Amino acid sequence: MSQKNRLQSGGRVDRSKALTFTYNGRQYKGYQGDSVASALLANGVDIVARSFKYSRPRGIVAAGAEEPNAVLQLGATEATQVPNVRATQQELYNGLVCSATNGWPSVESDWMGMMGKLGGKMMPPGFYYKTFMFPQSMWPTYEKFIRQAAGLGRAPKERDQDEYDIMNQHCDLMVVGAGPAGLMAALTAARSGARVIIADEQSEFGGHLLSSRERIEGKPAADWVAGIVAELAKMPEVTMLPRSVVNGYHDHNFLTINENRTDYMSDKAPEGQVRQRMHRVRAHWVVLATGAHERPLVFGNNDVPGCMVASAVSTYINRYGVVPGNKLVLMTTNDNAYQTALDWADAGREVVAVVDTRSNPQGERVEAVRKRGIKVLTGSGVIDVQGKKRVSGVSVAGLDAKGEKVTGNVQHLSCDTVASSGGWSPVVHLSCHAGVRPVWSDEAIGFVPGPSVQNQLIAGGISGTYALDKVLAEGAKAGQEAAAKLGLQAAEVALPNVRKVSEGKPMALYHIPHTKPTSRAPKQFVDYQNDVTAAGIELATREGFESIEHVKRYTAMGFGTDQGKLGNINGMAITAAVLGKSIPETGTTVFRPNYTPIAFGAIAGRNCGPLFEPKRFTAMHKWHVENGAEWEDVGQWKRPWYYPKQGETMQQALDRECLATRESVGILDASTLGKIDIQGKDAREFLGRVYTNAWAKLAVGKCRYGLMCGEDGMVFDDGVTSCLGENHFVMTTTSGGAAHVMEWLELYHQTEWPEMEVYFTSVTDHWATMTISGPNSRKLLSELCDDIDLDKDSFKFMDWREGTVAGVPARVFRISFTGELSYEINVQANYGLHVWEKLFEHGAKYNLTPYGTETMHILRAEKGFIIAGQDTDGSMTPIDLGMSWCVSNNKPFSYIGKRGMAREDCVRDHRKQMVGLKTKDPKVVLPEGAQAVADTKQPIPMDLLGHVSSSYWSATLNRSIALGFIKGGHDRMGETVYYPLADGRVIEAEICSPIFLDPKGERQNV
Amino acid sequence: MSEATAPEKEVTNVAVMNQLPSGDIRAESPLHHAELDKLAARNPRAGGVILRELKLLGHLTLRGSQDNQSFMDGCAAVFGIALPTKPLTSVEKGSVSIRWMSPDEWLVVVPGDQAFEIERSLRAAIEGHFQVVNGSGGQTLIELSGPNAVDVLKKSTVLDLHPSQFPVGKVAGSVFAKATAVVRRSGEDTWELVVRRSFADYIWLWLQDASREYGLVVKA
Repeated sequence: MSQKNRLQSGGRVDRSKALTFTYNGRQYKGYQGDSVASALLANGVDIVARSFKYSRPRGIVAAGAEEPNAVLQLGATEATQVPNVRATQQELYNGLVCSATNGWPSVESDWMGMMGKLGGKMMPPGFYYKTFMFPQSMWPTYEKFIRQAAGLGRAPKERDQDEYDIMNQHCDLMVVGAGPAGLMAALTAARSGARVIIADEQSEFGGHLLSSRERIEGKPAADWVAGIVAELAKMPEVTMLPRSVVNGYHDHNFLTINENRTDYMSDKAPEGQVRQRMHRVRAHWVVLATGAHERPLVFGNNDVPGCMVASAVSTYINRYGVVPGNKLVLMTTNDNAYQTALDWADAGREVVAVVDTRSNPQGERVEAVRKRGIKVLTGSGVIDVQGKKRVSGVSVAGLDAKGEKVTGNVQHLSCDTVASSGGWSPVVHLSCHAGVRPVWSDEAIGFVPGPSVQNQLIAGGISGTYALDKVLAEGAKAGQEAAAKLGLQAAEVALPNVRKVSEGKPMALYHIPHTKPTSRAPKQFVDYQNDVTAAGIELATREGFESIEHVKRYTAMGFGTDQGKLGNINGMAITAAVLGKSIPETGTTVFRPNYTPIAFGAIAGRNCGPLFEPKRFTAMHKWHVENGAEWEDVGQWKRPWYYPKQGETMQQALDRECLATRESVGILDASTLGKIDIQGKDAREFLGRVYTNAWAKLAVGKCRYGLMCGEDGMVFDDGVTSCLGENHFVMTTTSGGAAHVMEWLELYHQTEWPEMEVYFTSVTDHWATMTISGPNSRKLLSELCDDIDLDKDSFKFMDWREGTVAGVPARVFRISFTGELSYEINVQANYGLHVWEKLFEHGAKYNLTPYGTETMHILRAEKGFIIAGQDTDGSMTPIDLGMSWCVSNNKPFSYIGKRGMAREDCVRDHRKQMVGLKTKDPKVVLPEGAQAVADTKQPIPMDLLGHVSSSYWSATLNRSIALGFIKGGHDRMGETVYYPLADGRVIEAEICSPIFLDPKGERQNV
Repeated sequence: MSEATAPEKEVTNVAVMNQLPSGDIRAESPLHHAELDKLAARNPRAGGVILRELKLLGHLTLRGSQDNQSFMDGCAAVFGIALPTKPLTSVEKGSVSIRWMSPDEWLVVVPGDQAFEIERSLRAAIEGHFQVVNGSGGQTLIELSGPNAVDVLKKSTVLDLHPSQFPVGKVAGSVFAKATAVVRRSGEDTWELVVRRSFADYIWLWLQDASREYGLVVKA
């Protein structure tokens, strides 16, 4: 298909590089340098979407981020699908495949047309709330329908094969936008010696100048841009980021930038390259030079394809060499837009008329248009557009001086394109992100950023300044101001010479009246993407939604992927007019990040797949892998869960591991336990304050179990702490709680008891820890250790000794979490695997059996030992756990949790208390989390007595065992409770002591 | 290290222990399983990022008050150089480097076989309240160099690495990817990361990934 709207010359496209692309299944041609939008327009594609609510055909309206209609689904394969890509921002590449998002099943057919046309009355504003929210149970159905019909784009069904990453950046000055203001700001600051980052969403720097025929220093503006860019590129402290959308501006001058690194050149990123990079920038100062978006006017049927924003028409002509039609009618409230008529005429196509809402426009551009013999209709407006799939003509009528009423006769003009300009809306989005409320400027006829709340300056269009000479001056000034604030000698930069253009006063007008009242006039669209009309806004205000925030939510104005960039100000103006208020009185909605839609991949960066979360390994990890361990995640640690042998079920493996440990000897990698080295003369006293039990008399060479509570008296961690020297202890914590305990100790030391002489250092990773447990553990250890007297009366339970194990210096702790004779061997982790392997060399004859966390859990549950975090949930005191033996209220100084434990609620009767549970049928294992009741006949909701916290099959006892909580449980031994399950079964269990095995502790004392 | 003589009196209120075996026993650094030596043998010779593990060094954590003159003097005598007191700085003398970690904490990296003797010397030389902890098994040191080393770091840490903000000798402990590292600039294009043993594999994977676009050269 030929590019019927392409000019023979002009623009920044490279006509020697033809590109082929596919849109809605058809092939088209474009050129290097095209956006998808410019290529579609070149090919005469009028319809790019069907509207959200009414299914009306829609065409390309704008040329930048503000485009509401040309929102595409991009991607040649399922895995490379990208939803919600603005055709105006997507650069064309060879082989690009895209399709319309809005318009299922097809933009050309009118599947929803019947509904849409009827829907004029059927679907008034608020339909989203009125119709679809109720009944709520139907919402999933409605949502599915709406999403499909409205075409909000779709995520790929296959995994995205591209990679995205994140890079942190720092600078003195971040300049957002590389138009004339941004370039001047960056240049000035950089020449002053500042570290500068300048980012722009477009493929090349220059902003508005790329679309303009203005001259700077007597040369085309693009030449001036090229000179500045070349200078910046040579400066080592300047980072230039084209194709980079500054999407978020956050507190502390932190900005997030989404750099498109390969989207512009291929469907899938070339091998070894990331598709997009998120730059996370911390800037001392920020200059926002984000420019302005031109506002379309609101008039009847202003959404028929062919209706465009005036400056976008100029952009397509000047930058892309594309004239998007043959016969133009231009409607404007200002002088600036007259340039579009000149550009159109210079492209050799017909300007039917310029319709100016002002009664007496006078200015250089107005005169230039008149001189060309172009008809200028003053004091008039386009009140209606004819045409279905493309504009065929317009109705023009005279307006009163304020533009509120149609006064004159209606005349018809034939045309295929209607460009309109209601002035410019400064791009205040980023300053809104940072918490700056926009304020209305009568002079700029738009909202501009209010006073800055952080180190932020603004320059150019964002401040309502549009004349090029002033824009350049503001940019230079912002650069100098930033340099001075940074303590640099601000460089003087000569302002480039620009011809000043005299302009007449623009008119503040947004909504062109019709001969009929708005509610009966043809639809006058405010927000294209959400089909919000002027009549809809009037209805909303009549229904009592007077706050602009309510109007927004009721009508859905600004809710689309374009976030109302084109329509919001017009909507506010219409709301204000209906309410009889000014725009500043009515106020404005604000914007949140992100400025444009962003891929999830860009947010995740490389934190996905194998890098999603750190995996922590012990020094013996390789052995566990080689010996077939299954894994349990404990915090970030990968711990062996159990070690199945060929053909074994999990339960069979657990039974084997448990029995081997109880009957001979098992071994556990306990390296993940938190370990904290504590030194200082007050170490012992400190322990007494953070543990609930007493530490004053723990002798050197001895170990003791301790419970740690929060201020509320609730247990949060436990472990064994050993006295290494009079002023030296090593504390162990749970594997998952290590970091928290370390912080807890530092917190109390630094904020409450800084006078105490004690220091803490984590040694978790330094020691490899292996526990051998079982009746044969002493024999095994004795084969590898000849410098510790292992005699039971010399090295007793809860003692520790220093010695050598398998040739490696070790600390050996005789502590037990299984109730068996156990030794916990600690060696410097670089030698951990050596010692572990030596134990296996010698352990074969004792059937040394590795066991994982699950067997550890079973063995300790048989002994009634708690696991903090499994049996406790932050609501259990030591007393609730039946561990009053581990609480000492006779310490001279208080301890953390003492007061909390004494609260009324903590000392009342019938608190949930930990007990053992034996099912009546010993073969049945209670599910963890099951809730106990006393009487299964009671009505639902039943009175719940407490839950099961740990439950296992015990191979040693040949029956099930469980730990759980029962109200007043310590006084209910022998009573029966019932566990009704979701599947209808009821399990009956007897309350018993939580110590199922060896209640006297004889096995560990041998 | 100075010629501080072996301490005469053993301090008994703290358990000091030589943790290295006397016999010929294989030591495995935290990145042992990555077999960096084999990678180094078949590596490309050129690349923007050069990585090597400075393994099996002695890592001593030292805690004490700068107001304790005995502590400051004792450290200076043992190391032959004063502890750096300016925040986020390091000093280096011979085979000893000392990283400021906090106002009362330093990380001292020494040859692996000297950690025990240095700890004993410190205990003999210092009066008053302080802590020395041998953490040599719990961490390792990764050196990154080359023109793109800084780019890899920018993907990994929020620290500002510009020479004006992070000159040679500067030290900072911070989040590194989703783990932590103590970052030190040891030369214009050379950086040292002290990472925890249990996180070493994750950081190794991360560094390989982050340096892929620049080309990674592993040195033994």
